[in-house]
Order: sequence, then C-alpha cells, then structure tokens
Amino acid sequence: MIVKQQLEDEEKMMEMKKRKKTGIRRNLTQIGDTFTFELRKNMIPFIIMMIITALMFTLFLILQTLQEVQDIPLPEDPIKYFASYFQFIFGFLVVLTAAGFAGSIIAEDFQKQTGNLLFPKISKSRLFIGRIMARFLMNAVCILFYYILVSSITFIKYGEIPTAILLSLAWALYYTFALFSMVTFVSSIMRSTSASIIASIFLYLLIFTMIAQIMNFLAGGVEPWFLLSYYENIITSILNMPEPRYNLITFPIGLGGVREFYRWITPDVPTAFWGIFMYSTIFLILAFARYQRRQSKSEG
Amino acid sequence: MSQEYNNNHEILIKFVNLTKRFGDFIAVSNVNLEIKRGEIVGFLGPNGAGKSTTMKLMAQLLKPTEGEVWIRESRNGIGYENLVKLTNHNKDILLDNIGFLIESPAFYGNLSPRTILKYFGKLKGYPRKKLNSRIEKVLGMMGMEEWIDNKIKTFSKGMRQKIGIASAIIHDPDIIVLDEPQTGLDPKARKDVRDFIFDLKKMGKTIFLSSHLLYEIGEVADRIAIINNGEIIAFDTLDNLEAKSEKSIIQFEILAFQEEKVQSYIEELKKVIFPVTGIDVTAQWIKYNSDSRRFQVLFDGKPSNQFKILKELIYKGYEIIEFSVPKAGLLEDLFIELTKKNTIKMEE
Ligand SMILES: Nc1ncnc2c1ncn2[C@@H]1O[C@H](COP(=O)(O)OP(=O)(O)O)[C@@H](O)[C@H]1O
Ligand SMILES: [Mg+2]
Repeated sequence: MIVKQQLEDEEKMMEMKKRKKTGIRRNLTQIGDTFTFELRKNMIPFIIMMIITALMFTLFLILQTLQEVQDIPLPEDPIKYFASYFQFIFGFLVVLTAAGFAGSIIAEDFQKQTGNLLFPKISKSRLFIGRIMARFLMNAVCILFYYILVSSITFIKYGEIPTAILLSLAWALYYTFALFSMVTFVSSIMRSTSASIIASIFLYLLIFTMIAQIMNFLAGGVEPWFLLSYYENIITSILNMPEPRYNLITFPIGLGGVREFYRWITPDVPTAFWGIFMYSTIFLILAFARYQRRQSKSEG
Repeated sequence: MSQEYNNNHEILIKFVNLTKRFGDFIAVSNVNLEIKRGEIVGFLGPNGAGKSTTMKLMAQLLKPTEGEVWIRESRNGIGYENLVKLTNHNKDILLDNIGFLIESPAFYGNLSPRTILKYFGKLKGYPRKKLNSRIEKVLGMMGMEEWIDNKIKTFSKGMRQKIGIASAIIHDPDIIVLDEPQTGLDPKARKDVRDFIFDLKKMGKTIFLSSHLLYEIGEVADRIAIINNGEIIAFDTLDNLEAKSEKSIIQFEILAFQEEKVQSYIEELKKVIFPVTGIDVTAQWIKYNSDSRRFQVLFDGKPSNQFKILKELIYKGYEIIEFSVPKAGLLEDLFIELTKKNTIKMEE
C-alpha cells in the first residue's frame, strides 16, 4: 500500500514536471490549442457559410446564364466576365461571413457566462489571438471558395484563368480581415451573438451606404477614404484600374445652373493598403481593450 | 507576510484584507480567511453577499481594490513551498494547482464533454497522452461515462453541472473552488454533487465551496465562513458557531388554538415569554408556522430558560401539548439570525 502510494507520488511528480511549462511556451501551446478547439467549435457555422457562399455563386451563375440565353454576348475579356461575379453582392458575402465567424467571438463569453469556464485557465489575450486565427482562417476559406468557383466557371467559358485574379483574391482577403475586425469590435460591445451579427450587417448595409450617399452629395470632391466599405472597390478595380478614379456627375439646378460632383469609384493601392490597415488595427485594439475590461454579468 | 504563515504549511490559501469595490458599492469588504490543506471550507451567504466576487478575486478574474490573495506554491505536485502573493505575472503557475467553477457558466452545446475537457486539460498543461484516460476517469467517478461523446445540448441541468465540476478538476488540482454547485439542481443531482464533494475530500483535496443554503454546506464543510454584505461575520466549525450564537429555537403547540387570532396570540405570548428568553430585546422574535401549527420562539439555548418558558406558559394557562427544541430548524435560523443582525463577532 505504501509502496503503491510512493509510486503514484513519483508518477505524479514526473507529470507535474512535464507540465511546468510557463512563459512563452505556455503562451504558444495555449494559442495553438485554442486554434484547434475553435476550428472544431465553429464547424457548423463553417458548413453553413460554405453553403451560403455556394448559393451566392449559383445565383450569379443563373443571372449570367439568363443573359446568355437572351443572346447577350459574353464579354471578350475573361477578366470582365470574372469581375461580373463581384458586383454588389460580393461585399454582402464578405460581411455575412465575417458576421458569421466573428459575431460571437467576444459576446459568447459574456452571454451565458461561458467565459467563467475559460478565463482562469487562459488569459484573454491568448484566447483572443487563437480565436482570431482560427475564425479568420475559416472566413478566408469561404472567400477562397468563392474565388475557386468563379475561376472554375471562367475557365469553363474561356479555357483560361487570368493570373490577375490572384491579386484580386489577396485584396479580397485583406478587406475581409478589416470587416472581420469590425465585427469583432461590434461583438465586444454587444450583449449577445445574434445582436452583434445583426448590428454588423445593419452597420454595413445601411449606415455605410447612407454615409457614402450623404458624402457624395455634400462633399463630392473628397475621396471617402474614411469609409470602410469604400475599400471594397479595390477588389475588382485592381483587375482594371480606371483612370481617373472618379466619375464627374453633373445635374441641373435652378435656372440653367449646373452642379457637379465626383463619384469616387475606387481607392488606389496605397490608400487602400493603409486604409484597411488602419481600420483593422483600430477595431482590433478597441475590441481587445473592451474585452479586457468586460466582466460577465453576475446573476446575484 | 510574516514568517509564521510561511512556516505553517497547513495553510494553502490566505485572503488578507481583501476588498473589492464597484464604484461606490462595496461588494467584498476587508475579508480575511485562511484555508488549510485537506479541509472543506463552506462559504455561506445570501444572494449578492459577495461570494462569487471573492472567488473571482481569487481567480484573478477581478483585481482587488485593496488587499491580497496568497497561495501556497506547489512543488511538483507533492510538497509545498512558500505562500506567494498572487499577481498577474505568477498566476499561471499559482493557479495551476486550483480548479475553479465560478457561477453557472453555460457550455458549448454542440460539443461533447470529451472535446471540451480535452481543451481545458491542454490549456492547463495536463500531460496530453494521459488526457483521454483522465477524462474517462473523472466522468466515471460521476457516473457519466456513457455520455462522454454525446453533445452537451442533450444534457440535463444536473449533468451539465457535473461537466462543470469536471472542467474544474480535469487537470487534477489540489485545491478546488466551487461556487454554488448545488444551486438549481433536483434532489438526486444535488445528492450526487454532495457525494462527489465527499469523494474529493477523501482524495485529500482542499475545497472552497459556496452556497446560500446552510444545509447544503453544513453537511460537508469542516469550517464555515459566513459572508453578508461583503463582510465575513463568522468563520468557525458549525458546532462552534452554534455554541457561540448562544441561541436556539423552542417550538410548541397550543391545544384548540384558533388560527384567525394568531396576531393577538403572538402579542400575548411576547409579554409572557420575552422576559425569560435570556437574549437581547432587539433580537427576539416569535412566529407561527401554519403548516406545523406550531409557534417558534428564539431563546438562548440554556435549559434553565427553556424550563422557565414552559413554566410561564403553563402558569398563564396555555394548554401546551407539544414543547421541543428541534435540531433541524435551528441551523437555518442561526444563519438567518447571523446575516440579519451580525450578532457574532469573528474570532480574531
Ligand atoms: N461587475 C460588477 N459590477 C457591479 N456590481 C457587481 C459586479 N459584480 C457583482 N456585483 C455586485 O456585487 C454584489 C456581490 O455579488 P456576488 O459576488 O455575485 O454575490 P453572490 O455570489 O454572493 O450572490 C452584488 O450586489 C452584485 O450586484
Ligand atoms: Mg454568486
């Protein structure tokens, strides 16, 4: 009996020695474990988002096919054909997937006190990093999937895939990261996952569009670099950069007077790079600061 | 920290003047407690008393406004070294030896206990190769082995609570902190949880266990700390608390008592009984329990006063058909009295 106890003690000592990982090694293994756990935990949202992505592609494919049936010729340039799959709705796909993966990223810990299971075991910073890595990866795979679908159909129609689309893909992923950061921030201030998903989509579809419209009207000359959704345009423009990057719009006012304003089509590469960079950084910093301070509501 | 505490290897956790304010509101006020190796300390207090907040301070989920938490560093899981003040920098090491279940967190319904517990075990650095057998062992101890790979959303509240406890102990810590683990469970699950706490004690674990119900804690705890409005108002064994409270209840039944007149009866009884209960005027009470049809009165527990009360009642012509000092009712009442009046001074 005593011998057995001694053996157990020794065994335990060996185990504990092995687990005395602290500092950087502990940080890294915890981030890695969080990464794999998050992939597993979000498998169902991932499958749903992949289905939505495929459905959106199908919708465009049907529209294209309808045009072809009506004898509207295919554009000669495969790039043009490719880009037609990125009008209007692609930005919506990005915000939808970002909301799907990041909507819960912080809110879920406070909604039902799930955080009380985690935080004594792992710090918020490690959890945050591991989660962002895993969920952004899933988000990126969805976007990549859309590109693969569009590339495939382009190949079927034209027998070639323009390499320029790789550049477009890179910008699309970069822009997705900015929206992902925005949703992360929204998640840090919202009470529940569903509230942050709805608020993010609302922010994107209504508020951003409204600001863009108002800006066009009030200060048409100013490039709307402060508007996150403006950067979405680089995803297609990079395939064929317009010159100049705005349309001049004129319309009559009063007696023979004319009012002119610019409608900006796309940012250029440096503006887009720094704009997206700025947005992602600010949103992530704000989100993390809020996360650090946030406490689960006590039931008491 | 004085040398004396460092040398007393029996103390594993020590709170020193622990205080937490939320704005102007004091949730935890100047708490001093020691938890010794191998004991179960019950942490008793009504809702909102500051139990969960104290535990969160211990887990570094909240930073104390004032005061400190000291935790004894474990030496490779066997011996112990010094008591060390908990800070943000050493919390990984110090808290490795503690398992927490604070409040009632929800689980990810779409995952199985195995997936979740594996993640928690890894986070705490439990040897990876042994994690599966550890999970099976822990859930086996709780009679949940068949459910290891089922999704948690199909679980009952009691089963979820067991998974919660499992998540606290999966990395085999020596100290276990459980916040109201029995609250909201049905009687069977409550008994399971209580039995499991006994099992943990038998394995030599040190346990800090909160509840707002005395009977949940009275059965298992070696010592009980009573907290009210953030202050510790008593910390002792249950027997000593009772002795120190110098209070007990007498209950009696009056023949042919008319329930409609209960109020005037009570007023009359006050005049008869209060002079002989032996306790302070401000703390006295008589009440009527319509279920048992009995009156209850607080007295100082001395047999001589018990006899005086009976004598007065008979003398005044009350037809007493039942007169006793119930053991069960006393515990609850003691607790209510304590949290109401703060009549017990904590031993220094
Ligand atoms: N983050 C917080 N901000 C403000 N007040 C809080 C916070 N957490 C707890 N409280 C308050 O502190 C008191 C103690 O809460 P708690 O420790 O949860 O009590 P218990 O666990 O004993 O029921 C309650 O009145 C509660 O409302
Ligand atoms: Mg509580």
